Amino acid sequence: MKEKLDSIKCAALECISDARTSADIAAVRVKYLGKSGEISLIMRDMANVPKEDRPALGKLVNEVRGEVESALDAKGAELVAQEKSARLKAEYIDITLDSTGHKPGSLHPLTKIRRELVDIFAGMGFKVAEGPEIESDLYNFQLLNIPKDHPSRDMQDTFYVNENFVLRTQTSAMQARIMTVSRPPIRVVIPGKVYRSDDDASHSPIFNQFEGLAVDKHITMGDLQGCLTTFAKKIFSEDTKIRLRPSYFPFTEPSVEVDVTCSMCHGKGCRVCKGTGWVEILGAGIVNPAVLDMCGIDSKLFSGFAFGFGIDRIAMIKYGIPNIKLLYENDMRFLAQFN
Amino acid sequence: MLAPISWLKDYVDINVSAEKLAKKLVAIGFEVEDIIYQNRRATNVVVGKIIHVEKHPNADRLRVTKIDIGSGEIQVVTNVPVEGGETIAVALDGAKLADGHEIKRGELRGVTSEGMLCGLEEVGLSADEAEGQKQGDILRFEEGTPLGINALDALGFDDVILDVAVTANRPDCNSIYKLSKEVAVALGTSCREPHINFEPAPSDKQNIYGFSGTKISDLLKGVEVQNPELCPRYMAAGVKNIRIQPSSKLIRSRLRAVGIRPINNIVDITNYVLTEIGQPMHAFDSRDLEGSKIVVRNATDGEICVSLDGKQNKLNKYMLVICDEVRPVAIAGIMGGKDSGIKDDTHEIIFEAAKFARDNIRRTSRTLNLRSDSSTRFEKGIDFASQQLGLERALTMIYESGAGDILDGSYDVKIQYQKEREIPFTLKKLKEILGCNVPKATLISILARLGISVSEADGRLVAHVGEDREDIVGVNDIAEEFIRVYGYRHIKPTLFEYASLTEGGKPDSIRVVDLVKDVLCASGLREAVTYSFTSPTFKTKLRLPDDDARVKTIKLVNPIGEALSVMRTTLTHSMLETLAYNVTHFVSHAELFEVARVYLPKSLPLSELPDEREKVCIGIYGEGADYFKLKGAVENLLEALNVSNAEYVRSSEPFLHPGRGADVIIGGEKAGYLGEVHPDVAADYGVDNFRLYVAELFIDKIAGEDALKHHSFAPFTRFPVVERDLAVVVDEEVFASDMLKAAASAKAADLVGFKVFDTYRSEAIGEGKKSVALRFYFANLTRTLTDAEINASMDKILSALKRKVGAKIR
Repeated sequence: MKEKLDSIKCAALECISDARTSADIAAVRVKYLGKSGEISLIMRDMANVPKEDRPALGKLVNEVRGEVESALDAKGAELVAQEKSARLKAEYIDITLDSTGHKPGSLHPLTKIRRELVDIFAGMGFKVAEGPEIESDLYNFQLLNIPKDHPSRDMQDTFYVNENFVLRTQTSAMQARIMTVSRPPIRVVIPGKVYRSDDDASHSPIFNQFEGLAVDKHITMGDLQGCLTTFAKKIFSEDTKIRLRPSYFPFTEPSVEVDVTCSMCHGKGCRVCKGTGWVEILGAGIVNPAVLDMCGIDSKLFSGFAFGFGIDRIAMIKYGIPNIKLLYENDMRFLAQFN
Repeated sequence: MLAPISWLKDYVDINVSAEKLAKKLVAIGFEVEDIIYQNRRATNVVVGKIIHVEKHPNADRLRVTKIDIGSGEIQVVTNVPVEGGETIAVALDGAKLADGHEIKRGELRGVTSEGMLCGLEEVGLSADEAEGQKQGDILRFEEGTPLGINALDALGFDDVILDVAVTANRPDCNSIYKLSKEVAVALGTSCREPHINFEPAPSDKQNIYGFSGTKISDLLKGVEVQNPELCPRYMAAGVKNIRIQPSSKLIRSRLRAVGIRPINNIVDITNYVLTEIGQPMHAFDSRDLEGSKIVVRNATDGEICVSLDGKQNKLNKYMLVICDEVRPVAIAGIMGGKDSGIKDDTHEIIFEAAKFARDNIRRTSRTLNLRSDSSTRFEKGIDFASQQLGLERALTMIYESGAGDILDGSYDVKIQYQKEREIPFTLKKLKEILGCNVPKATLISILARLGISVSEADGRLVAHVGEDREDIVGVNDIAEEFIRVYGYRHIKPTLFEYASLTEGGKPDSIRVVDLVKDVLCASGLREAVTYSFTSPTFKTKLRLPDDDARVKTIKLVNPIGEALSVMRTTLTHSMLETLAYNVTHFVSHAELFEVARVYLPKSLPLSELPDEREKVCIGIYGEGADYFKLKGAVENLLEALNVSNAEYVRSSEPFLHPGRGADVIIGGEKAGYLGEVHPDVAADYGVDNFRLYVAELFIDKIAGEDALKHHSFAPFTRFPVVERDLAVVVDEEVFASDMLKAAASAKAADLVGFKVFDTYRSEAIGEGKKSVALRFYFANLTRTLTDAEINASMDKILSALKRKVGAKIR
């Protein structure tokens, strides 16, 4: 019996050491330790063994079983580890290949800038409004102190629908609309499309303006400067400075042109600022008392400031877009650059 | 306004560089757009003297010259037949000619040439400009011209000209004299007044041409202004014994510098005064004034006046004309008549210096499409002081040049006008406007430099503004005059120091558009921006029938071109153009959207503001583009806007593929459409190698009241979800949406979701039929469902499908 047990053990250990896969190990386990495995059968044969020998033999069988089991476990673990690592190895991929699945789209650069601007001014207490693009002569010109046949009409090339309606040449048209229907304090920005019959390499007949208006009991040129300084720092960079130069607009008095330090060269002088270190970006001023009065706001009690600039121009400066026409061509290769 | 610095120097001492002066002018509100150096039209072209000429050893037509250029001698090979001894212009090595050509030392047929002889063209001049020089010849100078100096300087083109952008509120500064005043302010110095010096000719003066009068009234019997509103002032003076000849060199070169062609001494004087004083002048040949009278009146409708340029102008009753006793001799302020102008044999002249109403000149000039330096100047506005000054300057020039003999006296017909305006103001108000301290002494001294005196009475300040500054009417103008000289650097930035706190933010209409754009971006689309106006051909390209509302467009009176002449009523056209643009520019695929307005007139012609309605348009083509990708983008959008009742019905839009287009119906109303573009339409846009897909929806129809509503939490089951599939045969015409609607109508218990996941056609199923596989999901919040429960629900669904869409189990 003992010899038989030894030979089973030897055979089992040999099988184990010969096993090449975890499946082999499972088969060996069944062959020797399964319900009708060879070692289990020995236990079943125990009945034929004299009673006094049974304890010793039982112990021996258990020892053999233990030995075979631990050999199976050890080899099994080894093979499983080998197989797993082989499988993982086989599953190696080129992790640099292109991704699949859908890519997000993108906002137009004009929208991105417009949103930035809206956020900046909303933070300073400005509401956002929009107005009609086909506008009456009254709001686009007359209430802004630009009477018919006035020379300042030459400042803009206007698209006419007929004698009384134009494509608005400036978002300032909305200033008059707002002032005729609301009372101070007014603090509003107006982004939107404007139109001028100007079509050449550096002009688009359609572009986008961003208008600002603040009317209250006591608004000063200093407030205008503070507001525009904040805007310039946020939209360009914290080290941006602004400079006011006297100018003329019929609806503001005093009127100023505002330059910012060039965001490309930080004021050192480059191609964008034509070597001056400054880039002209907007027109502004104290609301002309005549405009306040025409719109029904008492200029003795209230004052205000207004400003307006081109969103396109800001986008071009900020993104380094060399030509305004690119903004309206909608070439996918252009649009895809503004993720 | 072109301002030669040499001319400004007649009035103000300028001791700074042109660049510095430009900066200082900009600082006080006069933008200098350009600084033109006359002598830099060509560089490194100098005066030289040919001291030796010999034949070229290897070329018959070439000569080898030695040229003395002051600092040395150079050798130049030329084909110009020079003999030696000439003083000429030579471009040296490194010279840049007017046309951009650069001259380099080189060899011509084996002989070194260190430059090139230059003619007018090379230095950027015409024979008209450079007196004594011939077109087609080289430039030639008088013996003794300093050698080595810039050839342009030698020709008298040595001025520096500022191109100043004068703002519309300062028409007075479109003159050398008034601009000089600003230059003086900028430089902190003083400005001289115009030089006036003339006397009427003595009565015993010899009369060359037989006219023996001595007073203006002897030449011109009277001036009658019938419409003083359009002609507030009319001055006239007379000159006899006129000797028509060329003006002096100085006058001619100054006129050329500002872009005016010299004609003769009399015409040149009018142009010179226009430029210098800003007063348009006119000179009539008095022989042509019938009745020796000037009548300023409105034209009659249909009256004809042939202007100097030969144009027949048909006038109307709103236009102002200068007439003699019989007929118009000039269109007031715009152009003289053809017959009454200065001729070579003109003997006596009448100078006119008038003020005409700005707006009327503007209208007349535009109506007649007739422009002149004079009308341009009048359109900007002329002050009351200029007529007399202009006339006196003109007479001074006559007197000092001996061009004629001045008649005694002048006519001056004018309305009563205010010579000075008084503007009361306080320092407090100035401070309130500017937000900076306004030191009284500084204020008064700055205003004084600008010619505005300040008086103080009862503690109130009053500014006294002259007639030449019509732009200054109120305290804000005083504030501006002060600060533009004082400097904006004195204002410190504040943020609403004294104003109320206000709440900022976006209205819902803008938040909706932001949301729409964000969702479409998340769907992989890129935002496009196209023009709001388009070509009227969009109607035919999109095959819109005549009764389609989109055919009614708002037209521009003065479009850039036909292709951009109508305000769009649909975004689809621009989108198709954009897709086509990308196709033709070798872009393999595009996924685009645009949010923009369409312009829908309430009535035509436009008598009230049109409806401007915001729309969203999607366009895709190329890899992965199909109807369902497009529909996915639309569905994502609708879901984000909380639209749960959208229905898709077959569209009859004429530009869509008849079987692949859907109208989107929300709450029974058409919100828009989506689909594949009809291949014929795509071809009309120039695309035949891709299928194009387009969708367009009204924002106000897809964004209802709930568009921005927050979602409330809904509990979801923790128990297993059971799937059941069902395949039924239905008629080909039955839409998936019909089947899903039928299934939903069964109101089966615990049904939480369903979809069509497969459609199958075969001969066995039969023609005109299809087998549709549906999948249903069942779940309960509180327990696991039993088979029996689910079977009961499926039975209800199946019977609803049978009843409503004629479904059969295969």
